[in-house]
Amino acid sequence: MSELVYYVYCIAESAAAEQLPADSLPAAIEEDVRLEWISVNALAALVSRVPKTAYSEEQLAEHLTDATWTAIRAMRHETVVEYVAKRVTAIPLRFATIYLEREGIEEMLTEKGRELELVIAQLRGREEWGVNVYSDRAVLLSSITRVSPVLRELAERAEKASPGQSYLMQKKIDALRVDEARAAVNRIVDQIDEKLKEQSDDNVRLRILKVETTEHGELKAKFAFLVKRSGFEEFRDAAERLAHEHQPAGIRLELTGPWPVYNFVTGFTG
Amino acid sequence: MNDVDQLIISEEFENTDVSLLETLDHVLNRGLVIAGEITISVADIDLIFVGLNVLISSVETAHEVLGKRETE
Repeated sequence: MSELVYYVYCIAESAAAEQLPADSLPAAIEEDVRLEWISVNALAALVSRVPKTAYSEEQLAEHLTDATWTAIRAMRHETVVEYVAKRVTAIPLRFATIYLEREGIEEMLTEKGRELELVIAQLRGREEWGVNVYSDRAVLLSSITRVSPVLRELAERAEKASPGQSYLMQKKIDALRVDEARAAVNRIVDQIDEKLKEQSDDNVRLRILKVETTEHGELKAKFAFLVKRSGFEEFRDAAERLAHEHQPAGIRLELTGPWPVYNFVTGFTG
Repeated sequence: MNDVDQLIISEEFENTDVSLLETLDHVLNRGLVIAGEITISVADIDLIFVGLNVLISSVETAHEVLGKRETE
């Protein structure tokens, strides 16, 4: 039997951990081991044991180049954290946080206790919601003379102008179309950000990992919002109003969640 | 016009490749970084994503991964 080390999933309050006995929890990241809580005073870390051979620094780096290995384990990590976060307030940890000894975790809980308790207090009753903004370029370009104030004005003047002037104005509209479309997307994205901020306690704009072109168009922006459970209806209504308002410009909103609050614990330095 | 159609709520993660990517993005890129004794570096994460994008573009493998998750 190889040596075992500790994989840490998330941190919650000890009182909350007691509501979630180990045998009620989902499967651990590696087969044939159970999740367990390691509790020190008011805080508890959810862990499971993993073979040191697979999770040593070198082996881990090697495994992580295997996308299937990584994806399966990332999904298991998420399943565990999600289960806990749906029931109690939990601080999700980054994938593959490993401690060699139980004492290391106990020390961490003791040393960082005050800060961790503060973070939990700020997160209580809140969930993370993701908002993805897609733009359908063809729809946007075809509607840009209505969407862009500059082009709308030009188009109105062109209609009333003499044929010669009208032709020149139309030329100008065509030349501005692409730039105005880009400006319109930025404006709409900012507006979505502003409006949804009002319905949330915290927010972060995320980087786009790759240019994703889906049936909804191209992914233009990704946001995460920290939303009170009790305020979710308002948040959702605001998102729906924005989706409705910008749909004619080829803009589509995708709401994902609720997520464990992954994006609202990163400021903590550990 | 149907408002609900414009707004996709992927609760409980629908079985789509996008939600797999979203999940991986959350788990691998974010979450509290606490000084564990072994942690993966940010540079590693970017490399992982190169691999994952390839994985996800291969629908069969993605479903295999999701299938494994569901049976747990």
